[in-house]
Amino acid sequence: MVTYDENGNAPPQAGPGRLSRIFSTKHKTIGLQYLWLSLASVLVGMVLSTLLRVQASWPTTAIPFLSGFEGATERYAAIRLLHGSLMVFFVLTAAPQLGFGNFLLPLQIGAEEMAFPTLNFVSLWLTVASLGGMAASFFRPLSQGIDVWLISAALFSLAALLSALNFSVTVIEMRAPGMTLPRMPVTVWAWFVNAILSLLIFSVLLAGCTAVLSDRMLGSNFFSSSAFLASQPQNLVREGSLPVLWQRLFWYFAQAEVYIAMLPCFGMITHLIATFSRKPVWKERLVVLAICGVGLIGFCVWGYHMFATGMNPYAPLVFSVLASSLGVPAAFLLASWLGTLWDGRIQFTTSLLLAVGFISLFIAGGLSGIFLARHDLSRAAVSEDFVIGHFHLVMGVAATFAILSALFFWFPKLFGCRLNETLGKVHFWMTFAGVYFVFMPMHWLGLLTQSTLLPEAQRIAVASAGASIRNVVTVATICTVGAQILFVWNFFGCLLRKNEPEEENPWRATTLEWSVASPAPQVNFADAVPLVHRGAYEFTDVGFEDFVPQDRAPELPAQKQN
Amino acid sequence: MAGPTTTPELETPLIEQKNGGGGGDLPPAGGNGGGDGDKNRRRRQPSPKRYYTGVAIGIVAVLMFFMALASAFLVRKGGADWVPVRIPALLWLNTIVLVASSVTLEMARKRLAHSDAAGFRNLWLVTTVLGVVFLVGQVVAWRILVGQGIYLASNPASSFFYIFTGAHALHLLGGVGALVYVAKRNFGQAQVTQSVAAEVTSYYWHFMDALWLFLLALLCLGK
Repeated sequence: MVTYDENGNAPPQAGPGRLSRIFSTKHKTIGLQYLWLSLASVLVGMVLSTLLRVQASWPTTAIPFLSGFEGATERYAAIRLLHGSLMVFFVLTAAPQLGFGNFLLPLQIGAEEMAFPTLNFVSLWLTVASLGGMAASFFRPLSQGIDVWLISAALFSLAALLSALNFSVTVIEMRAPGMTLPRMPVTVWAWFVNAILSLLIFSVLLAGCTAVLSDRMLGSNFFSSSAFLASQPQNLVREGSLPVLWQRLFWYFAQAEVYIAMLPCFGMITHLIATFSRKPVWKERLVVLAICGVGLIGFCVWGYHMFATGMNPYAPLVFSVLASSLGVPAAFLLASWLGTLWDGRIQFTTSLLLAVGFISLFIAGGLSGIFLARHDLSRAAVSEDFVIGHFHLVMGVAATFAILSALFFWFPKLFGCRLNETLGKVHFWMTFAGVYFVFMPMHWLGLLTQSTLLPEAQRIAVASAGASIRNVVTVATICTVGAQILFVWNFFGCLLRKNEPEEENPWRATTLEWSVASPAPQVNFADAVPLVHRGAYEFTDVGFEDFVPQDRAPELPAQKQN
Repeated sequence: MAGPTTTPELETPLIEQKNGGGGGDLPPAGGNGGGDGDKNRRRRQPSPKRYYTGVAIGIVAVLMFFMALASAFLVRKGGADWVPVRIPALLWLNTIVLVASSVTLEMARKRLAHSDAAGFRNLWLVTTVLGVVFLVGQVVAWRILVGQGIYLASNPASSFFYIFTGAHALHLLGGVGALVYVAKRNFGQAQVTQSVAAEVTSYYWHFMDALWLFLLALLCLGK
């Protein structure tokens, strides 16, 4: 868990010792630490998912932590929980918002620091503690494991709350002169809306965790599980109550997490597509409204659910209502991305490919969401494979593509070097094909379980296809996970090979973070507070270049300020 | 190690001048694009306004936390296993103490505004003591309930009673910490003045006061 400490810190010109570089309150250090945390989590999470697939296809194989234990089904549930927690909390929540957000938000709004650096420090280390707790819960027996997991989730909620407070105050109070709200990059909007949403949602989650923990450890009666179990359809509780409850609780968290994970990705993708299409964001105002809309709808529907059920995590949830209510603003965003790409002078960098891959996955996942909207909960629970395929495409993999895309784009600013484009493209195509091979067949598998509606003769044939589809998924998973070696190679190769200093603005982008050196210096804006004179996406021909940085004064269109 | 700079503030950027009063509002969306022409702008200190905004947003989060529990309370109280808790009379006394602490806090701030340091210190101390008295009173109220055989685990209503009062007490304890901090800290070369710190603390304290009145109403009327 400490790998991220080694490299993820201040640039080498930093004076202070190693310890004070690890325990730093600087937003760039903290942002990088979150990214290292995510990288470690995503690698472990991927290995776990491979184990799960191998177990599903070849149940007799000996797998560490899975076979050889008492109660293999419990271990199977635990390994799923660890995979889900790592990916959802420490990758999807941490990387786009806390990682990139912490590093880039002050730079993009022309601030020197976050509003409350010490608070930022506290939330980072609470997150680290939460990660430790979640990992520890995996090695405990199930009943203890749940308690440890809940405490960790509560810690994570607390950390997320503190971060959200910090983000929103930073955006409101710390913007450079001239950085008016309409001039804010869409990324900043997304981080801001997401912070507000996190603030509302994680405080509820914290309350929920408190109540459930009090139920489990102090014997209070907030959610009586016997009443819940009695009210559930029979097929949900057939396998003994605990693992079901555990999963249900996880889903309760995952509900809100969908929005928390996706919002900053929307912002980053909009930003990248505009930059690589060399065009302003198409209907920028509408995009900002749509991002606010995702936050608003996300909170309203989820909040309604909370008030209707009294925050009962065991109450049945209808994922589809939430998923389909996301549809309207999502359609706006989609239209804007395509409208920005349309007729643009597109630069096919790896970053853009990944962004387009995000769009593709988002559409594919969104379409299967429409099918889910037709299911009531019990049927959705029966065709679990379909649900897994759906949310992995739309949330897990799409968000991962957005994170990778952002990483390729901001790598020079983060680390002072550029990732290899060829290697990156090979990695992109392998991963892109891989995830479709993994998750599309899962949709079929989900539909197969509905085959009881078919005539007898066809049903047998269809059911026998299930096993082979499962194997396809497993092989594809192994290949896709294997392809990530390319990425790790590219990532660390780049870090180790850094030879000449990277230029300030390699992508010829407009926002303020590109007006400082690469990697970002110790002091963000050493010479002067930047003055912002224009919007974030002015890609127009001004003679020798096709963009106008945000801090260029209007009276000097051809000459860069400072 | 946090402080970005120690140079004193030379000028206030435009955006911050425009938005005078209390915390929480969004800054104006318009703006004319900043003070053009001033190229030798020095790095500035972050404005103390962030503390107002911070406490306002923090209050929203705390409110959300209690609203979630309140919603659980309202939904749960329909259940068959619900046995209402008789609220100890001591709570009314505690409530008076807490409301009185809000009043003394405002009086203390008025003293500070009139540069009466000694008067401020005394009234601030009274506020802190009243806060502690309230907390002790809550603990005594719990003991009374325990004496009646009503425990956290007795039934859903008692669970809610203890978690509401407990969570509120924990949050108020944070407020007491803030009161002590404002009184004890040396504001000599700090980025904020004592009056800013006192004002920010007062927002939180009054909120805790109002929240307690709400919770009390919920516990009384909602049973």
